[in-house]
Amino acid sequence: MNVMITGAAGGLGRAMACECGRRGYDLFLTDINDKGLAPLKTGLERQFGVNVTTLASNLTSPASLDSLMAEVDRRGILFDMLLNVAGVDDEGAFVEMDREKVVGIAAINDVATLRITHSVLQRRRPGSKFAIVFVSSMASQFPIPLKATYAASKRFLLDFAEALHAELKPSGVNVLALCPGGMATKDSVIKAIEVQGLGGAVTTNHMELLTRRTIDRVLKGKTVYIPGAWNRTFAFFGKIVPRRVIASYLYKRWDKAQAKWLKG
Amino acid sequence: MKTIVITGATSGIGLETARLFAAAGYRVLAVGHSTANCEKANSDIKSTCPEAMLAWFAEDLMQQREVERVAGEIKAFLAKEGVESLYALINNAGCARSWYMTTEDGYEQQFALNHLAGFKLTCELLPYLLKEGGRVIMTSSESHTGIKVHWNDVMLRRRYNPLTAYKQSKLCNLLFAKGLNDRYASAGLHAYGVDPGLVKTDIGNKTAGIVDIFWKFRKRHGVSPTIPAKNYLFICEQPEPPQWLYWYLCREQKYSRQVTSENATRLFELSEKLCGISYK
Ligand SMILES: NC(=O)c1ccc[n+]([C@@H]2O[C@H](COP(=O)([O-])OP(=O)(O)OC[C@H]3O[C@@H](n4cnc5c(N)ncnc54)[C@H](OP(=O)(O)O)[C@@H]3O)[C@@H](O)[C@H]2O)c1
Repeated sequence: MNVMITGAAGGLGRAMACECGRRGYDLFLTDINDKGLAPLKTGLERQFGVNVTTLASNLTSPASLDSLMAEVDRRGILFDMLLNVAGVDDEGAFVEMDREKVVGIAAINDVATLRITHSVLQRRRPGSKFAIVFVSSMASQFPIPLKATYAASKRFLLDFAEALHAELKPSGVNVLALCPGGMATKDSVIKAIEVQGLGGAVTTNHMELLTRRTIDRVLKGKTVYIPGAWNRTFAFFGKIVPRRVIASYLYKRWDKAQAKWLKG
Repeated sequence: MKTIVITGATSGIGLETARLFAAAGYRVLAVGHSTANCEKANSDIKSTCPEAMLAWFAEDLMQQREVERVAGEIKAFLAKEGVESLYALINNAGCARSWYMTTEDGYEQQFALNHLAGFKLTCELLPYLLKEGGRVIMTSSESHTGIKVHWNDVMLRRRYNPLTAYKQSKLCNLLFAKGLNDRYASAGLHAYGVDPGLVKTDIGNKTAGIVDIFWKFRKRHGVSPTIPAKNYLFICEQPEPPQWLYWYLCREQKYSRQVTSENATRLFELSEKLCGISYK
């Protein structure tokens, strides 16, 4: 089993790589952060004895993707699975945000993901099944003012995954969209969870479970995975409450929080 | 003058132990996580003990390559000062986590910092410790009891219980000490585990969630970190290296029946593989 993971040096990418290593899969890891790839490769090889290839790339650049694929072809690697983890998160009032930063959210989360998915599908191992995971987010479940671009970019992945699933099913490809809530990946996230108190703690996903179940589910042919009972409940409300109402509620809530923050 | 190395020296038990050794006339090579915290701890110790001989090293010991780097920095420092041996190494840096989190090597964080960091640093500094018949002390804990090492899943990926991961790491501290004694006692090196007891420190405050609440509750009755600090100095001040493995309040303490030579050997083999090193 050969698995390509993008964004592999980040918290979720690394946990995914460990889960795949535990299953004995061989890995091709890429990330824009080249410094994080080398220690991860060594650690995975020492823990699981699997083959790990790494190459840094900037997936928003077609040239960088080409050299990544050239390396794949030079090594003659054919894939059985693609985990699209690479992505960015940003927030703020749309008009006040830096223009290139806003555009970058869609460029990385959506455009770059399309590009690598298209390339890796050309390098399927012939005659065997294939699996693709798109890391969407709980944010895909609602229109989120002040996080509008990010939420919409994740919605794009969700809709795209569901459609692609139907389109590629006949040719033996399973496609899954993963919609996680908060994940304890780094200290700044832990601080944010702490600020949210118990609510933050219960909606935080357990990475060891989430990664295992994601792989289980995509292999079984599921299309969407929202991990955690609380997150599923929120997603359910997202479906029954009119989207316009959700958006204005979320905006007001944020406005209040900010007013409080400015006073305090 | 005797030189010692202590990790996690910027706060809690490590800070008070570094202060105590400095006041007792040792040269202390203190390892912390961030330069800012090292500077703070330095002026803190200097304010109570102006004559302290201190040198600071800042790295993130959770990451294997930073353990290598700090070992290199310590060796360079020793060479520059013309010091050829170390009297003691205190592996104290530790953390508690609420969730399964990985290091950049893809290792579970409590296992990586609480056990592997010390395992690797000790191996790197072993030649210096062997020269002086040195003493290696791990900050273990009463938490090491009532648990076995999960040999088939040491990173506890199957079902992560953060407290189990913490307890297992503290058991590993004692197994490591046991294994060091098995291998090097005849060469004059001795290793120990100290149970600091319940201590009021920052541990657990750095992680949100259930573990945060657990530690807050536990530490309500905690003592000052100056109390366990005495235990480390006590072990180092004995002219003849004490023969007992596990200590609490400067007294020999009973430890888990899991601490066997067989388990220690198993831990050595696993940890050597994960650290890419070889004791011998
Ligand atoms: N407190 C207790 O009741 C208790 C009981 C039994 C055992 N212990 C053990 O005692 C030891 C010391 O803990 P403490 O209670 O004194 O806690 P603490 O106040 O949190 O001190 C931990 C020390 O380790 C350092 N550290 C943390 N993460 C690090 C990293 N990634 N790389 C390098 N250094 C790092 C910290 O530096 P920063 O502050 O800069 O992060 C700090 O100097 C631990 O091994 C713990 O398991 C404590």
